Amino acid sequence: MKRVAVVEDNADNRLLLQAILDGLYDVTEYENGIDALAGLAADLPDLVLLDISLPGMDGNEILTRIRADDALRRLPVIALTAHAMSGDREKYLAHGFNDYITKPIVDESLLLNAMERWIAKSADGALG
Amino acid sequence: MTEQNAEETAELPSFDSAALERLKRFGGGKLLGEMIALFLESAPERISSARTGVTDDDAKTAEMALHSLKSSSAQLGAMRMYRLCEQGETLSRTGQLDIVSLLVSDIEQEYPRVQLWLEAARTESTS
Repeated sequence: MKRVAVVEDNADNRLLLQAILDGLYDVTEYENGIDALAGLAADLPDLVLLDISLPGMDGNEILTRIRADDALRRLPVIALTAHAMSGDREKYLAHGFNDYITKPIVDESLLLNAMERWIAKSADGALG
Repeated sequence: MTEQNAEETAELPSFDSAALERLKRFGGGKLLGEMIALFLESAPERISSARTGVTDDDAKTAEMALHSLKSSSAQLGAMRMYRLCEQGETLSRTGQLDIVSLLVSDIEQEYPRVQLWLEAARTESTS
């Protein structure tokens, strides 16, 4: 089973992602950026789902650190955000996220397809 | 909140039961029940944190609390609550805390209705 790290501070969102990913992915959860960066380095997943709005270090900053780290920089990272404004998608992709999924999650296939696509690209060595 | 905004918000549906059905599809009545329990546990803290942010002139605290509440409300289909939080979040970001204060009052009044609706949904899904 492929492994995914979920970085999300809200317990309800973590629970929801667990339910959607249950049986499909091996999920490790982190509630903040400090724990996530330490955990990712120690135990590299196949993909990261990264919430943008986190207390302390936000998702954009975590992504910057991931991309600056030789061991982590090739990880596929999908932004999860409830800030859905026009132009956001371009902004997050330009910042270095591989993909962008908006909350609330209405159609889980959008998330699952994006995850599958980026894990496959990563396995082909197409990233980084 | 302006009178025009209040009217527009009032005309839109307050609740979307499709959101609850969706959660059942994702994880059955168990997930729905757990999501509702987490909401009822965290929402009062977030509303009070938004109020503290407004009172202390701390826009960032208000923005974070309203952002979290917005996201949870949307996932559970509490649409009027979602819209009020979204307006409050946006106005917190631009520092218009006098208007945010009025929105937080609306949110405080809306919460008991959301609570009743979710408690009924939870009872229904477990019966």
